[in-house]
Amino acid sequence: MRTKHPTDELTALVDGALPADRAAEVLRHVEACAACRIERDRLASAVAALRRLPPAPEPSPLFATRLAARLARLAPDERPRPARGFRLGAWGDLSSLRWKLAVPAAAAVLAAGIVVSAVRLHRAEEKAVAENLDLLLDYEAVSSLGDVNSADDAAVVALLDEIAPGEGTP
Amino acid sequence: MAPDADAALMLAFQQGDEGAFRKLFERHARAMVGFCHHFVRDAARAEELAQDVFVNLYRASGHYRPSARFKTFLYRIASNHCLNELRRGEYAARAAEGRAGAEPADPDGLVSPAPTPEASAEGAALERAVGALLARLPEKQRAALVLCRLEGLSYEEIADVLETSVSAVKSLVHRATVTAAAVLAPFMPSALPKEVLP
Repeated sequence: MRTKHPTDELTALVDGALPADRAAEVLRHVEACAACRIERDRLASAVAALRRLPPAPEPSPLFATRLAARLARLAPDERPRPARGFRLGAWGDLSSLRWKLAVPAAAAVLAAGIVVSAVRLHRAEEKAVAENLDLLLDYEAVSSLGDVNSADDAAVVALLDEIAPGEGTP
Repeated sequence: MAPDADAALMLAFQQGDEGAFRKLFERHARAMVGFCHHFVRDAARAEELAQDVFVNLYRASGHYRPSARFKTFLYRIASNHCLNELRRGEYAARAAEGRAGAEPADPDGLVSPAPTPEASAEGAALERAVGALLARLPEKQRAALVLCRLEGLSYEEIADVLETSVSAVKSLVHRATVTAAAVLAPFMPSALPKEVLP
């Protein structure tokens, strides 16, 4: 009888991804078959070579800032809405406790109002950053050279995008 | 109870806690940039793609259910996005270039122009060879290889990410690893003649 080589399962064997009984069968074959042993070792060497790959580059320092700006630019209908369904159900079930809960609920609503105001203020700041991201990046780039020393310098940075190529050179 | 810390953060975000989203970003930003980099081999573009992934995660957060592991949910968003990016053809020319040069790379011939220590030169050569390998692979094999070999996901997790069966993943990973063995032969301790294979 001709033996079928388990070639297609050798990578899974190397990865330890075969069920135990099948792994034992394949391993028995590999130990008796030089060709499959060579192929198993070749695949294992490829896996080892891939493990030696240098790590991918680190994100740049502005990565988080740019993401925050993009999220701030999302339209209201693109923003996730907090799940509220369970709260409505809970109010229905707890109708007998309504009055006992009225005072803490009022306090919670007041606190929520304060939080919403704070979030709106934060959102307004995020929106401002998003709308002026290019200006912010220009300012960061120029100030890193130590060339922004006065309000006039900052005003020039704000006009950088409007200056035509070659303009301003002697 | 949430099955893992990331799932708990995702559930907190679903309830409106934006700080939870920031924590998720901090925990996974570097991994996502690295993952996208495996697809496009360009640091700036990888960052853009990783940003897209987090924007998509932000928008799709309502679809997350704690029964799914957060890691596979995130990698599914990232894989779909990176594969779509490849399908759009922006990198077709680069991929063709990779296929054209897909013969086993010579580590000595791939040293960068500037003189570097031997180890980092070999690392750079290996990186280029892996870039050529990934460009040569069909997209599903590429995704499976990246998820398995470079991101360390199990076959079951990859099946979940790619929305396919474990046996299909086994086949994808095997075919990609066979190609890797051919392309990366110069980086392996002993390259043996293919005539002896079954």
